[in-house]
Amino acid sequence: MSTVDSTRIGFRDALLKLASEREDVVFVSTDSLKVVKGEPFLEQFPDRVVELGISEQNGVGVCSGLASSGLLPYICTYAGFLTMRACEQMRTFVSYPNLKVRFVGANGGLHGGNREGVSHQFIEDVGILRGMPNFTILCPADGGQVYEAMLASADIDGPVYIRIGSGREDKVFPDGTPFPLGKIRMLSDEGDDVALLAHGFVLGRVIEAAKRLKAEGIKAKVVEVATIKPLDKQGLIEVLHSTGCAVTVEDHTIINGLGSAVAEVIAENVPAHLIRLGLQDVYGESGFPEELLDAYGMRIEDIVAAAKTAVAHKKQ
Amino acid sequence: MDIQALEEISLSLRRDVVEMVYRTKDGHPSPSFSVADIITSLYFEVMRLDPSNPDWEDRDRFVLSKGHSCPVLYAALAKKGFFPREELFSLRYLNSHLQGHPYAPKTKGLDATTGSLGNGVSIGLGMALAARIRKKAYQVYAITGDGELGEGMIWEAAMAASHHKASNLTVFIDNNNYQSGGTVGEISGPYPIEDKWKAFGWHVQTIDGHDIAQILKAVKNAHQVEDKPSAIVCKTIKGNGVSFMIGENSWHKRVYTEEEYKQAIKELGGAV
Repeated sequence: MSTVDSTRIGFRDALLKLASEREDVVFVSTDSLKVVKGEPFLEQFPDRVVELGISEQNGVGVCSGLASSGLLPYICTYAGFLTMRACEQMRTFVSYPNLKVRFVGANGGLHGGNREGVSHQFIEDVGILRGMPNFTILCPADGGQVYEAMLASADIDGPVYIRIGSGREDKVFPDGTPFPLGKIRMLSDEGDDVALLAHGFVLGRVIEAAKRLKAEGIKAKVVEVATIKPLDKQGLIEVLHSTGCAVTVEDHTIINGLGSAVAEVIAENVPAHLIRLGLQDVYGESGFPEELLDAYGMRIEDIVAAAKTAVAHKKQ
Repeated sequence: MDIQALEEISLSLRRDVVEMVYRTKDGHPSPSFSVADIITSLYFEVMRLDPSNPDWEDRDRFVLSKGHSCPVLYAALAKKGFFPREELFSLRYLNSHLQGHPYAPKTKGLDATTGSLGNGVSIGLGMALAARIRKKAYQVYAITGDGELGEGMIWEAAMAASHHKASNLTVFIDNNNYQSGGTVGEISGPYPIEDKWKAFGWHVQTIDGHDIAQILKAVKNAHQVEDKPSAIVCKTIKGNGVSFMIGENSWHKRVYTEEEYKQAIKELGGAV
């Protein structure tokens, strides 16, 4: 495998590998093949590309028929065109009958949508799907992790959603690092002052924030929560029990995403002060990816400040 | 099976629907009646099925896009032997495998989950394309309503199906001229139906949807078409076979009184 230098290539390369190993894999495109540089898939497996043109609701309906007839369809297009335009099709015709359809949502978050603006920046996708029974929701942090998440999730019973970006993501993990399906992953553990919980394309910032906190004498745990559903509640309870406070960082609205999921765990299981960073119930705008994260409250300084506030609150 | 025997089955399925709605006090009777002859033709003459092996990979598939007509589909599945007839009378009750709208994982013999209108042609197209990819010879049939043609997704699927030359997909349009709120002419204006499907590249036939010989001939014609999906516009009557239901759209979803129940069964050739 060559270097997986973006989430879109990670998706495509994993799909090529899966298709070469099993005959049931098909790629359902809603004029989205080019988006993931899928031309090699079309060349190698022309009979396993279902091109439907720009029609996402139809695309998900077709996936329902394909999956109920023994195939494993992967439909990849912009995250919101799946989770919003085809929301009901995902619910009633895939999630409800628990069919094995794989949804790969591009342009996840401000980082993923970047200069395209709000119509192509999807900050609600995870929250929309979290309320649908049977769904597995995965938010890998970089191209290599998308590749691994694709392979790790191929045999999951029922629907799977994998959030990818624009192709402009920094690498966080060396290629070949396994994807921790269904489990949280401790990335660094300096102590029990505060837990920094995150997924996706902000993970590098969180790792950097922990280093700065360490320099200031605050001992943080950095925990990746890449499987949003089913949530590793037990793993989170253990972390929250030891730190007593946490900061969630997500390139998503803080409503219904990671921050909400962690708040639910806290409310039901383990008292802890929580600060949620992410989109604060606002839309984004056009801009460069890293610039957008800065502008919407996800600077490294914001994470450091939130961690200090959380720690201070705990001590009160 | 000869036409007369099929007509008798259609009557018996409609009697089952009357009894289901009467006994369970819920369900959509007249939308079931307009598709009764199509479903009878498919399940008792056309489709290759094995009730002892409901998940047989090579079976023909059926998608009831207008899922609210499911009482008559359930009656057909029971009569085929997928499950005991007595279970029909658990319709819409807690713990029943017969949901208010079709749910494939629970009901033996059911190929697709439907209910929300406009989705069945896409699901059928997926099944039809899967046959091509998996090199299977099965056929896929779907029924949509005429009011349902207002859903844009029908036309997304229509365009894609003809683009893919999905000739193993046949869609019946149940043109009973009514939708929930009134006549389709008043509410949504789908006419001319045939021209729309033709414009989308489909092979189109128009038949009397209560003439089983015409239905069977139209299916045979559809099988001859090699490069297009087929639409069969069926002129039908909502409530067909029961005088007081015809032209009275409240029977879209209404429960029979004891007197109405007895009369309906009688008009459909049964004895109470």
